[in-house]
Amino acid sequence: MRKLLLGLSSCLILISGPLSLTVASVQPLCRNIVYIHVPAALCSLACFCVLFICSIQYLRGLPQGGVPEKAQKWDYIAAASAEVGLVFATVLNATGSVFARAEWGVWWTPSPRLISSAALWFLYVAYLILRAGFAAERRKGQISAVFGIIAFIDVPLVLISARFVRDIHRPGFSFETGWQYAALGLAVCGTLLLAAMLIWIRTDILKIEKRFNQ
Amino acid sequence: MSFSNAVKAIFIKDLVGEFRIKQTLSAQICLGVLIAWVFRIATEAAPVGTAVTAAAVLLVAILFSAILTGERSFAVEQQNDCISALLLAPVDAGDIYIGKLLVNIAMLCIFEIVVVPVVFVLFKVSVSGNWLQLVTVLILANIGVSSIGTLLGPVVQAARAANSLLSILMMAALCPLMIPVIFALLLLFGAIVAESVGAGTLAVVGDFKTAAGFLTAFDAIFVTVCWLLFGFVAGE
Repeated sequence: MRKLLLGLSSCLILISGPLSLTVASVQPLCRNIVYIHVPAALCSLACFCVLFICSIQYLRGLPQGGVPEKAQKWDYIAAASAEVGLVFATVLNATGSVFARAEWGVWWTPSPRLISSAALWFLYVAYLILRAGFAAERRKGQISAVFGIIAFIDVPLVLISARFVRDIHRPGFSFETGWQYAALGLAVCGTLLLAAMLIWIRTDILKIEKRFNQ
Repeated sequence: MSFSNAVKAIFIKDLVGEFRIKQTLSAQICLGVLIAWVFRIATEAAPVGTAVTAAAVLLVAILFSAILTGERSFAVEQQNDCISALLLAPVDAGDIYIGKLLVNIAMLCIFEIVVVPVVFVLFKVSVSGNWLQLVTVLILANIGVSSIGTLLGPVVQAARAANSLLSILMMAALCPLMIPVIFALLLLFGAIVAESVGAGTLAVVGDFKTAAGFLTAFDAIFVTVCWLLFGFVAGE
């Protein structure tokens, strides 16, 4: 199943790559980064949603004392999605930064979307720092779940608050041909599948690590 | 024990304790004045609008002070294992949170009574005529930053027991959560300071009412969420 998923996501991304360089190419060339940037943005947000849902499920399934296997599973998925989300948030910020340099002449500037994506990255990092700080399974799970929930609620608030700052994003370019939409769609689907598979693998690794340490 | 009684008991207990030892308040005020002083020297080195810098300095001071207070309010409970007694008391964990939150807000208010005039004197800022706006902003901001500071205070405290460097790292990790407050504050300070001094405005758009409304909404959401979640982080 996992191999199938990997194959499918690679196929989608591999089809979208040549498409974006040929029929679906956007001019000037630097704007082609959109085929990496947008999927990475969607993936990092999707990972945050997974983190939020898993955090709630973990806290809901937690009885007094001890951690049942089922609740532990939610905690592992939450941790895995934070790690995968951090990778995509890094890609999002790095590609965004390169694009900003090419388009506006600056690597970074306080602008609503730039602030929000940087905040997303910092929240992932903060979550992982908090997780690393506790050894006991139950305490670690509880605290990181609480942080995951408030961090998720924070994201839309950051988005709204960032709108108080002047926006550098000019009225963006829009896609003209169907090929461009198709290439972007394929890239988004492929990357989402890739993220799902990475979370899956990482969750299993965390489970194995736990068994190994016992 | 009813909600109001429990909150009142915790509020009075903590404030009396703090006024007896004056540990947190003195540390807070020291930190605030030091931040203002260092930034004042730094701005001498490069020509920057002092009014705008004053707003930024206040922000940094309030932020660090809030995190410090949140952590300290649970550190004092560690002595003689008071935290266990507090958690064993027949009160809801949410009541403990609200009590601690009120204490932290009060402490931040006292901190600001000292530090805000210091910043205004150092940076030659005057807010004549805008006092009401300034006080509203500061109180709303106090609630916002304290809500998160109080929730994660026990977390930072628990980490400190394990590794002191880690707790500093965690304090820094709390900052991204407060970005919405930072923004609304920056906007409001910018508006207030620019109006009175006529200096250059910050690169922000929006007006006082919108930003104050946003801060109120942020406070309401976070106090509620933190109140609900406090039971999970308070320890067992």
